[in-house]
Amino acid sequence: MLDVGGRQARRRRRTVRTVEAAVAMPVLLALLLLGALLFDVITDTLSWQVLAPAGSGRSFAFAEGFAPFGSWDRVMRLELAARGVPAEDIEPLLADPEERRVLEARNRVELMPWVDGRPFRWLVTTVSDELVADRPLWSGLASRRELLAAAEPGQVVVLNAWLDPAFVLRNASRSPLVAGLLPAFVGSLLLVGLVILLAVPIGVGTAVYLEEYASDTRLARLIELNLSNLAGVPSVVYGILGLTVFVRLMRLGPVVLAGALTLTLLVVPVVVVAAREAIRSVPPSLRQAAYGLGATRSQVVLRVVLPNAVAGITTGVVLAIARTIGETAPLLVLGAAAFVPRPPDGLLSTFTAIPIQIYSWVSENDVEFTHAASAAIVVLLAVLAVLYGIAYYLRRRFASR
Amino acid sequence: MTDADKIADETVRSSPVPAEEAAVVIEDLSLWYGDFRALYDVSLTVPRNQVTALIGASGCGKSTLLRSINRMNDLVEGVRVSGAVRYDGVELYGPDVDPVEVRRRIGMVFQKPNPFPKSIYENVAFGPKLTGFRGDMDALVERALRGAALWDEVSGKLRESGLGLSGGQQQRLCIARALASDPSVILMDEPTSALDPIATDRIERLITDLKRDYTVLIVTHNMQQAGRVSDRTAVMHLGRLIEEGPTDLIFTNPRQELTERYVSGRFG
Repeated sequence: MLDVGGRQARRRRRTVRTVEAAVAMPVLLALLLLGALLFDVITDTLSWQVLAPAGSGRSFAFAEGFAPFGSWDRVMRLELAARGVPAEDIEPLLADPEERRVLEARNRVELMPWVDGRPFRWLVTTVSDELVADRPLWSGLASRRELLAAAEPGQVVVLNAWLDPAFVLRNASRSPLVAGLLPAFVGSLLLVGLVILLAVPIGVGTAVYLEEYASDTRLARLIELNLSNLAGVPSVVYGILGLTVFVRLMRLGPVVLAGALTLTLLVVPVVVVAAREAIRSVPPSLRQAAYGLGATRSQVVLRVVLPNAVAGITTGVVLAIARTIGETAPLLVLGAAAFVPRPPDGLLSTFTAIPIQIYSWVSENDVEFTHAASAAIVVLLAVLAVLYGIAYYLRRRFASR
Repeated sequence: MTDADKIADETVRSSPVPAEEAAVVIEDLSLWYGDFRALYDVSLTVPRNQVTALIGASGCGKSTLLRSINRMNDLVEGVRVSGAVRYDGVELYGPDVDPVEVRRRIGMVFQKPNPFPKSIYENVAFGPKLTGFRGDMDALVERALRGAALWDEVSGKLRESGLGLSGGQQQRLCIARALASDPSVILMDEPTSALDPIATDRIERLITDLKRDYTVLIVTHNMQQAGRVSDRTAVMHLGRLIEEGPTDLIFTNPRQELTERYVSGRFG
C-alpha cells in the first residue's frame, strides 16, 4: 500500500530540516565570529583617557569650532588664544607655512565624543601630552564618574575616538596620540596604482593571447598549467623573489617601485584567470558574426570580445586591488619600513602600507598604539568591504548580460 | 545498394545558368575537415539577382558549401580545400586573396540571430567602421535598415540595444548589418529556423525583395520555404550536388530518384 503523505513523508521532512540546520550552523557560527571580531575591533577604537595636557587643556563646543572645510583652522585659533598667544600674533602664525607645519606636526585637532562630562567637544591634543590613564570602552563607561572625580586639576577626562577623519590624514608619529595613517594610506594607494598600471595590461594581454591567438599550442598549455600553480603560491615566496630580484639584483632598494613590482607578480595570475573566464564567456556566435562581416582577428578581439569581457575583467582587477591592499608578508620580507614618518615622495622612496603599519603598531610596547592599530584595522576592513562590494555588484551585472 | 552508390557521378542540371548571368561560380569544390571529406567536387553556378536555395538532408554539406563561398571555413582548424570559387572574376581561394576582403564583399546571415550587444545603430555601422568609412554614416544606417524592412520599427530607438528587439527583428537587424557593407551576394544559413511563423513570413518576403539588388543564396531544410522563396534550387546529398535547376522543376518534376524521394519527404 502506498504511504502517501504519511509517516515516510514526515520522516523525510525531518531529515531535510536537520540537514538544513547542519549546513546553516557553520555559516551562522562564522557570521557570529566575524561579528564578534568586528565588535572587538571597533570598541577598541574608543577609549576613556585621562590626559595631563601640554596645551591649553580647554575644550570647545562643536558649534564653536566647526567649519565645513576649515575646522582645523578655527579650532586652532581658539586653542592658540586659550594658550595665551596674543590675538594679533595668531593669524601670522597660521599663515606662515613653516610655523604652520610645526603646529600641524605637534598638535592634533580632534572632535571627542565626550570631554569632562560634556558631549562632542573639540580638543587639541599634543605630542607632549601625558597619558595618566587609559580605560577600554565598556569598563570606562561604567567608571567614568570615578575618573572625573579622581582627576586632578588641569587634567582632562575624554572619550577618545581614535577613528576619525584626522586619523587617516595625519602622519605617523612616535606619540600614539597624534599618530595617523597617512603614510601607510598613501603607500597603499601608490602600490595599488602602480600594480593596476602594470598588472592589467600584462594580465589581460596574456589572457587574450592564450584565448584568441594561441589556444592550442604547447606553449599555451604549459602556461595554463602553471597559472593555477602560480595563483596558489604563498605570498611570502613572492616577497623573497622580490627581495632577491628587485631590491638586491636590480639595486632598487626597499622602495615603492620594488614593492609594486613584487605585488604585480603576485597579482597577475589573478587577473589572467578572471580575464580568461570573461573572454571565454563571450559567445562564439558573436565572433562568427564579426568574422562574417570581414573583421580581422585583432578587430574581433578589440571591438567585440574585449568590450563584452570588460565586466568580468573589471571584477578580476578589483579582486587584484583587494589582494594588493591586504598583502603583508611579501612587503615585510621586501623591507617595507615599519616606521615611516611621512608619505613616500616618489617611486624610489621607502614606504609603508596599511597592513605593515598595523603590524608595527601592534608590536609597540606602548599599549595606546593598539587603539591606533584597531582604527587602522577598521579602515582596512572598510576599504576591503567596499572593494568586494564593487566586485559583487560587477559580477551580478556581468551575469545578467 | 547504399544511397552512396546510387548517386550518379554527374550532377543533373536543368536549364543551366549562362556564364554572363553568374554571380558566383563554384568549380569542382572539395573540402576536408581533417580526414573527413565533406564536399565532393561540387560545381554550381549561382545566378545574379536571383534567390538560389540549397536543400538536402541533415549533414549533406549545404552549410559547408555556403561557408566555403565567403571562406568562413578557414576559421576551422584542419580544413583543406581544393577546387575553385570564382566571384567577380576573382578566384577566391587564390594565393593572394585575403579572406578578410572576401568577407567584406560577401555578406552572411546566420541561423540564430546574433546581433552585437551594442545599440542598433552601432550594429549596422559595425561593418563600414571596420574599413574606416568616412561618409554619412547616418544615411548608410538608414539605407541598410530600410533595405531590411526594419527602419519603420526602429527609427525612433537607434541608440537602444539591439538585444531588446524580438527574434524576428533581431534577424532583420542582422540582415541590415550585412547589407551595410554593400555586398552584392548575401549568404543565408537557415535564417528563419529559429523564428516563429510570422517572423519567418516577414523575412521570406524580404528575401524576395532583396533579389532586386542582391544575389541571395539560402540554405534551408524547410522545403516549403525553398519552394516559396527561391528561383533556383540545388539539392545536395552526402557532400555531393545531385541535382539543380529552376525551383518549380525540381519540386514538380525532379529527374534524380534521390531528389524525388527527398522533396516528397520520404527522408530528411
